[in-house]
Amino acid sequence: MKELVDQIQARLRDQKITVEDVDIESRLKKLITDFRVPEGEARRSVLNYFLKEHGIMPQARASSEKVKVGEIKETGRWVDLEVKVLDLWEPASAAISQTGLVGDSTGSMKFVKWAKSELPNLELGKSYLLKGVVTDEFQGRYSVKLNRTSQIEPLDTDVEAKPASKAARPTKVVDINEPGQWVDLTVKVSQLWEINSESISQSGLIGDETGTIKFVKWVKADLPDLVEGKSYSLKNLVTDEFQGRFSVKLNRTSQIEPLDIDIEIGSVAAEFSGALVDVQKGSGLIKRCPICKRSLTKGVCSDHGKVDGTYDLRIKAVLDDGHRVQDVLINRETTERLVDLTLDEAKQMAMEALDHEIVRSVIEGKLVGRYYSITGPRVDRYLLVESISELAPVLTSDVDELLAATEVV
Amino acid sequence: MAGMAGFSREVAKRVFAEELKSSNYSFRDGQEQNQYAPSYLLTPTGAKCNRVFVVGTLTEKDDIGGDTEYWRGRVVDPTGSILIYAGQYQPEAAQLLASMDAPSFVAVVGKPNLYQTDDGNIIISLRAESIQKVDEATRNQWIMDTARRTLERLRELANVKPAALSGDFATADNVPATAASNPAQDAERAVQHYHTDIDHFRQMVLRALTSLKSDLSKGISEPEITSTEKNPVRSEEKSAAERVSGEVPAPRKSKPKKSESLSAWPESESDDEVETINIGKKS
Repeated sequence: MKELVDQIQARLRDQKITVEDVDIESRLKKLITDFRVPEGEARRSVLNYFLKEHGIMPQARASSEKVKVGEIKETGRWVDLEVKVLDLWEPASAAISQTGLVGDSTGSMKFVKWAKSELPNLELGKSYLLKGVVTDEFQGRYSVKLNRTSQIEPLDTDVEAKPASKAARPTKVVDINEPGQWVDLTVKVSQLWEINSESISQSGLIGDETGTIKFVKWVKADLPDLVEGKSYSLKNLVTDEFQGRFSVKLNRTSQIEPLDIDIEIGSVAAEFSGALVDVQKGSGLIKRCPICKRSLTKGVCSDHGKVDGTYDLRIKAVLDDGHRVQDVLINRETTERLVDLTLDEAKQMAMEALDHEIVRSVIEGKLVGRYYSITGPRVDRYLLVESISELAPVLTSDVDELLAATEVV
Repeated sequence: MAGMAGFSREVAKRVFAEELKSSNYSFRDGQEQNQYAPSYLLTPTGAKCNRVFVVGTLTEKDDIGGDTEYWRGRVVDPTGSILIYAGQYQPEAAQLLASMDAPSFVAVVGKPNLYQTDDGNIIISLRAESIQKVDEATRNQWIMDTARRTLERLRELANVKPAALSGDFATADNVPATAASNPAQDAERAVQHYHTDIDHFRQMVLRALTSLKSDLSKGISEPEITSTEKNPVRSEEKSAAERVSGEVPAPRKSKPKKSESLSAWPESESDDEVETINIGKKS
């Protein structure tokens, strides 16, 4: 313990800070004895604590390095950026003084300037050196936060960056993961839906080889109608998001060019990890219509009436990662493997119990509450599971990593 | 937004028991402010919970119902314990809870319930939607998961401007209620209501992870029975003591009456006893 205290004192002396040995020791003891924090972590924690007490940012934070927007690929890094302000948005919270988009030659990203930072305001179109900003991530999208320790220096030179809004980029459907982006798509119209709003002229699904996405064409856009099954080049669409599902909107600035080629609609696997929190009705042993393969309700197909159905096994479940929910569909083959129950055994089980719902109960018992990682194509609100595996057991090193992260909150 | 087709399932938030029990602020929120608007419990770190997911050790279970069965269980995580309930309106959960052994590892999906006793104490419990037996590996994953989510919320809190000290209640209610509130807004609201001590909850996360770490170092392939030894001994003693006080309906003996206002912080220490008041079917 004495050794640890001396190590900390040495570091504090470097910063010309005087702290009583007993204060350090009692803090160390608390961490190590009461909270079973490993010594190395405790030393760092106590050191950081006293540094912070005296207004000095710990080492890890002190040095920020100059990077390009495109290089930002991890959270919690302290960086310097030379960027142009491309867009300013309405802050959603009083805690935020400014938010918007900044960019350089390598890309653009959201920035958030906290009210607490008391930094001067950024002007649209101007270029700045942002020093000591911290990177953050939400659902795979990176941003930078400007806080009390950040600095803003206006630049005389103009940082080259693509203008935010009007620069629509040719994009694949699968890459659409951010609202408010302007994109060009080359797609086929896969479905047109009934319209239930007077402001919408057309709505439905469009897709390319990477996946499908909902589109909405406003009446105000005054654009020609899209035809189901035809392929188009759609220019200058804006992306939107609702409850984690993305769509594109065609407005007055959008263009539609019919294409002679036929775009093949495909899909690219999506991933999701989380706890399986529900096995829904319609899971387990079901009967399908022999003609259209849809599941029957009390032996009746909604299209073909009363039919002699064929048995099948499937799971409709909900995965939840604490931020979002994902509906998933698991087919018979995967269900059989996952639950270790064949279709024949399921039938047998239902027969003995005189109740096919027992199969769903068995599935619930095996899956609900556990953590899974899944991949598969996304179709509307479902992810069609191609592979599913339980998350690997927690290792001591995983816990250490998280403990370290807890120290710097 | 939430009203559209009524079809967006609420996310199950990850919150440690200690934090859940420190919560005392619930409200209805949604585009339309009526009795159909979903209700939420806002926790001190800003988790806006209509639903929560908890994995821990079921240490006790009792049928506290009269004519119809009404099951109550206690689920323990590294930070404390929370009571779960399942009755005739949650038949599947009730049946599963009834058939379960205590102790065992369980995963619970449930709706948080805020109940105020006659003497002004606030009790948070969960109305279980589902209860399933799980293994220790899943419990460990949940601790990691919950620690991560809690840290995310603490980071949001750290960015909230210190709340004005006057009229905390009024300000909290004045925050415009939108169904699409974001983490930053939830954090702000939490700070305004609770004046959350970030370090307190950071220590809670540290404690949870440190105890997980020591669990891991004791080996993971032990047979199920030893799981009782791994639970803090405290919970064992507690459950025995409480079973007594739980069965005798009235004796709120020797316990000093707590009379803090809603906005005050319940002290975590003395909560356990309060919880065993038989609140019957009211929840």
